[in-house]
Amino acid sequence: MGNLTTASGVPVRPRQRLSRTAVASVATAAVLSWLATPVQATSAGGAQVVTSAHAAHVTARDGSAAATQCDPYASLQPPPGPPTVTPGSFMATVRARGYLIAGVDQNSYRLEYLNPRDGQIEGFDIDMLHAIAAAIFGDPSKIKYVATTNAQREPFVESGRVDIVAHTMTITCARLQDVDFSTVYFDAGQQILVEDGSPIHGVQDIAQRRVCAAPGSTSLARLSQYHAIQVPAQSYTDCLVLLQQGQVDAISTDNSILEGLAAQDPYARIVGTTFSDEPYGLAISKQHPDFVRFVNAVLAQMRADGQWAASYESWLGSPVPPPPSVRYQG
Amino acid sequence: MTAGAAVAPVRPVRSLRGTVTAGTTHARLRVLLMALLVVTALWGGVAAWSVAGHASAAANVRAASEPLSLDAQRIYRSLSDADATEAAAFLHGGQETLPLRRQYQGDIAQAARELEAATAAAGGSSAGPQLAILSAALPVYTGLVETARTDNRLGYPLGAAYLREASGLMRATMLPAARAVYAHENAQLAAADQQATALPYAAFVVAIIAAILLLAAQRWLARRTHRVINPGLLVASLAGLASLIWLVSALTVASVQFSSARDHGSAPVEALARADIAALQAHADESLTLIDRSGDDTNQENFVFLEKHLGPGQGSLLSTAETTAAGSAGGRLAAAAAQSAQPWYAVHRKVRALDGAGSYTAAVGLAIGTGPTQSGGSFTRLDSDLTGAMAADQASFRSAAQAGQGALAGLEAGVIVLSLIMAAGCTWGISRRLAEYR
Repeated sequence: MGNLTTASGVPVRPRQRLSRTAVASVATAAVLSWLATPVQATSAGGAQVVTSAHAAHVTARDGSAAATQCDPYASLQPPPGPPTVTPGSFMATVRARGYLIAGVDQNSYRLEYLNPRDGQIEGFDIDMLHAIAAAIFGDPSKIKYVATTNAQREPFVESGRVDIVAHTMTITCARLQDVDFSTVYFDAGQQILVEDGSPIHGVQDIAQRRVCAAPGSTSLARLSQYHAIQVPAQSYTDCLVLLQQGQVDAISTDNSILEGLAAQDPYARIVGTTFSDEPYGLAISKQHPDFVRFVNAVLAQMRADGQWAASYESWLGSPVPPPPSVRYQG
Repeated sequence: MTAGAAVAPVRPVRSLRGTVTAGTTHARLRVLLMALLVVTALWGGVAAWSVAGHASAAANVRAASEPLSLDAQRIYRSLSDADATEAAAFLHGGQETLPLRRQYQGDIAQAARELEAATAAAGGSSAGPQLAILSAALPVYTGLVETARTDNRLGYPLGAAYLREASGLMRATMLPAARAVYAHENAQLAAADQQATALPYAAFVVAIIAAILLLAAQRWLARRTHRVINPGLLVASLAGLASLIWLVSALTVASVQFSSARDHGSAPVEALARADIAALQAHADESLTLIDRSGDDTNQENFVFLEKHLGPGQGSLLSTAETTAAGSAGGRLAAAAAQSAQPWYAVHRKVRALDGAGSYTAAVGLAIGTGPTQSGGSFTRLDSDLTGAMAADQASFRSAAQAGQGALAGLEAGVIVLSLIMAAGCTWGISRRLAEYR
């Protein structure tokens, strides 16, 4: 036992020096190896680097026959007139409960983030939720936020743990098989964020580079097509931590999220052109088509009365583009 | 002597039998003297060796009570407190309160101080690699926390990501290392304690042999020489008896003191520290649940697990601490701690209920509030009861360990001097008889 050496107190000097060197190198290795681990791998004990086999599976699912035949822009037709809470509807249940339960991200600056100054979750996506709460309760603040990771979005909607998810969520044909979506409220596209001086100038340069994205996102799935080394992190701010520490070479996700990251780091910039379409929708359970129609009515009202444009300008700046096009189906 | 030599030729004439007897007795006396000297030397050596072993173990126990010792428990506690404090500070938003900031800085300063002392005290022991991990990780941790604070002040959600990383480093790397050092230190203290209170069997065996030999020698001499008392052997016997009494009484006193140091000092301190660290981690979990806004998720599951572990209740940490500390200086505070846990849990359930019902701001307010009916305040109550009890028992440990070590003072030298007196007495006593046969 080591305690005997201290008890007798006669360690040989050269050996002690040797052991100190060993100790120092063990410690350095331990801290370095911890630092090299993606953030969520330690904090959430979660995913490792996604294997290409798994990524390929996601792509295959995205490109399956049923999936390619859908129209992500199409959603359920709202009833005519302003949004109304009809008796017996899901909205009536929510109103009886007293608050709306919304799954959100709290790390996407300006879209949906926890403002440290007032401890409130705010942003462009959150404004959509405020409008829905206002339509149900007459009070935009009646919302209980549940922070969700990207991978938790569909399961939380399906299990009824949340009423709605507003979480920079791209409408895809694969996701439409599990959950319903509102009409599109924001059009994003995937791009790349790097630190100044990076040799990466666009998606063509990311092969064999370490690129960070959130597990369960369309962004991470798409990276395998470009042969990037995928480094998953729980949220995109965790990706920015990794980028600032030099643990990844780039972050790739929707430009809307990347703009928010770039706003927090003057040395980060978005490079290359958009290489995907990411129409955002609000996810709602397939059990509640009445709620989907109600939300679509709220969104239609927001587009019509200028609320959408006002919110866009206040969070994302001008020039304000026209609202995304809307198609109803069924 | 020369006179004896001069009359020597006369002697054989006196009696042939007498010559034979004289020669045998002379040889026997020489053998006896040799035997007595060997046993005396053995007694002196074995007794001094036992005392030296006890004294070094006593010094190790005592060292554990010194302010500048390898105090892993304080490292462990201050790191846990830093983690919990920083999480609580984050709930306050961009501008954390001054008391929390000071508490965090105090924790880090203490952890750094203790780490340095511990590294110096650990030397080449097996705690070395873990201490090196802590020394390497501490500045990284504080760097991450400062980055988190800066981003938080700027109003960026990036701050929360840096806090997550800091807390991840703390929980995945630093706290396990601190726990390992702590376990190592406890094992070391237990071993030293055992050695300091062990019975010196070898010394007892030699003492019995020496006593038998001295008694037998005196009886034999008394019959042989018709002198009831041999002053030399009497002096040797008395010196031997004195050293035995001193040895037994000093070791008994030391043993009683060290047992008291353990039972009313280190044992309750260890039980209290376990409870306190569990409480600190639960407190951090309460804050992290709110910061991550993930509802009743892993952090809350952790809290529930820790609450069950912490008690009070059969076999729980708090009840064990209360039982172990009963009758010690910190006993009253330990009992109070067991009482102050329930009110905290009650407030925590209120916090969860508010958060669950969508009143996030009210939940945060209740969690960070320092009033007696708020979570921050009722946790502080529990924490201060536990740390107060620990400080009281730590003081008992220190004074008892000091008394135990004091009881052994001078014993080693005393035993050696007394065994030299024994040897001198034996030599003197026997050589006077030997002289009669010249």
